[in-house]
Amino acid sequence: MEYEYLVNQALHKIALEKKGDRFVLHYRESSFEADIKIVSANVYSLIIEGRSYLIYIAREKEKKYISLDGQSCIIQKPGQEGKHFDRGEDRADKGKSIVKAPMPGKVIKINVSEKEAVRKNQTLAIVEAMKMENEIKSPVEGQVKKIFVSAGDLVDSEKPLLELEPT
Amino acid sequence: MFKKILIANRGEIAVRVIKACQELGIASVAVYSEVDRASLHVQMADEAVCIGPPPAVESYLNMGRIIQTAHDRGAEAVHPGYGFLAENPDFARLCEKEKVVFIGPNSRALELVGDKIRARRAMEKAGIPIIPGMKSVPKGLGEFDDEARKIGYPVMIKASAGGGGKGMRIVFSEDELRPSLEAGMREAKAAFGDESVYLEKYIEEPRHVEFQVLADNYGHIVQLFERECSIQRRHQKIVEETPSQALDAQLRQRMGDIAKKVLDVSGYNNAGTVEFLLDKNKNYYFLEVNARLQVEHPVTELATGVDLVHQQIRIASGEKLSLKQEEIKQRGHAIECRIYAEDPGNNFLPSSGRILYLKEPKGPGVRHDCGVYSGSEVPIYYDPILAKLIVWAETRESACQRMKSALDDYVILGISSTVGFLKDVISHPRFREGATTTGFIKNYFDQWKGKEPGEESLKLTLAAAAFDDYRRSQALEPASSSRERQTISPWQFLGKWRIGGKA
Repeated sequence: MEYEYLVNQALHKIALEKKGDRFVLHYRESSFEADIKIVSANVYSLIIEGRSYLIYIAREKEKKYISLDGQSCIIQKPGQEGKHFDRGEDRADKGKSIVKAPMPGKVIKINVSEKEAVRKNQTLAIVEAMKMENEIKSPVEGQVKKIFVSAGDLVDSEKPLLELEPT
Repeated sequence: MFKKILIANRGEIAVRVIKACQELGIASVAVYSEVDRASLHVQMADEAVCIGPPPAVESYLNMGRIIQTAHDRGAEAVHPGYGFLAENPDFARLCEKEKVVFIGPNSRALELVGDKIRARRAMEKAGIPIIPGMKSVPKGLGEFDDEARKIGYPVMIKASAGGGGKGMRIVFSEDELRPSLEAGMREAKAAFGDESVYLEKYIEEPRHVEFQVLADNYGHIVQLFERECSIQRRHQKIVEETPSQALDAQLRQRMGDIAKKVLDVSGYNNAGTVEFLLDKNKNYYFLEVNARLQVEHPVTELATGVDLVHQQIRIASGEKLSLKQEEIKQRGHAIECRIYAEDPGNNFLPSSGRILYLKEPKGPGVRHDCGVYSGSEVPIYYDPILAKLIVWAETRESACQRMKSALDDYVILGISSTVGFLKDVISHPRFREGATTTGFIKNYFDQWKGKEPGEESLKLTLAAAAFDDYRRSQALEPASSSRERQTISPWQFLGKWRIGGKA
């Protein structure tokens, strides 16, 4: 069976086949055999060529969070999430720039108004989360086209705060 | 001794205090906001009462509601933890008026040390060294300009009612002063309900060294040595240790004596911490008194063997201090790492959401003070501290190794955390040398990014992912060996159960 995953936006393919009570995995040009035991829904024990690995895994929608040797990474299936990523890089919105909330929080202040010209790195808004103020800076030089939120609003991560038109 | 205590806090510190209550045979009452119904402190307490909506001002800062709850449940005392109402003299006064014991200093001492400017004046009068700065709260913004020029840049903006780095800003030049003042005042207002700020000289390359002190209600004071807390980001500590590499026995003795004098001058009782800045020439300056149980109190507990929360409760109940100064000894080395829900690779932005999986490190000399569990939600409303990992070993070197290994064992999935970052801090050669100053993170970890998985771990990660999808498509169940069947495991009851899909 072949599986595809996105890791840091790069696509990887891996194939898995069952062979007796073991599994053979094919990745790039190499193949290896793994003895895999399910310790719990979140923990797998792998023995590959006599080396023992403990892998922790958690799932959320299309994402898997995997931790190995104290290092964790997020991988996801290509498809909805992946395509969404591409679109975010303003292919459809060419010439516009949407500034999004970096984390869930509360809008404390909007420092600019619509039609105002802004410099790169100018503070556009202040969002507070967990009692810390975070300045939202302009990624580009341009003009404020539209403001979607006002002071006091609770915002989710990735929620558009304002739209800029780069000059 | 008390029979029942209300804990006016949440998260790991509420859990810590509840455990102390259990050990002392005292019933505990947890209070919680509407988003915290499922949190650990609520699960652990003997009684739990919802005190309002998620914003702290309507729940954990709601003094009237908390006192009323204490009365309703018959709690004789309130432990405020740290943050929230811990250093609020109005709350301490309300407790005194309502005949509920506040487990902390008396309201007069709290008021004195909580007012940083009054405290500085009192300490200066008593001959305790302080940092040059403003001696009164300025009336207008113009006064700040003059004062900053007089003290000389760089200057530090600090919140009068402050702590924990909130409202704090360093200003390097005159044109940065106004915007920094405005931001600092807003932050101070949001965090403490009081926007007053003041300026002081910013000392470059300092170490942050603080002394733990205990004082009973009868004037007996002991100090439990120092903690060095120089490793900070955003002026907030993330790694603390004891003993400090910068002190020798003589300096330790001198600073410890001054710490006791500070509490004496303030008419202080219960647990407190006296903070100093130590410059590279070993000059020390009194900074402030933290009139509460500190986040980093466990390192002192591990190095001295004294349970500070037990002591707080005993002192508040009117017991005399049984500890004698000459009997308190430092042994070995203790380090604490704070596990925050934030993204160190992205400017330490807070990260809220669901903890999908948590594995706590265990082992000899490892302590984990934790307020969360697999499946718990981290709300956006409160400080992002999740847990504290504390280790003890005979030497600093072995404590570092033990900490590194415990961090390697720490698994937290679903939200960003400081675990990977702390591993790099602990492993850094300058940290290993003990060359810790408050600029450490800025100097060596400014553009820190988490490591990308290498070829080998990528291969294993993909293998695990593929196996995970395979087994979920085949509905394979976790292995249950005959040995495992004898132990109670949720898998025996849950049957065919999967996360994120239909069974």
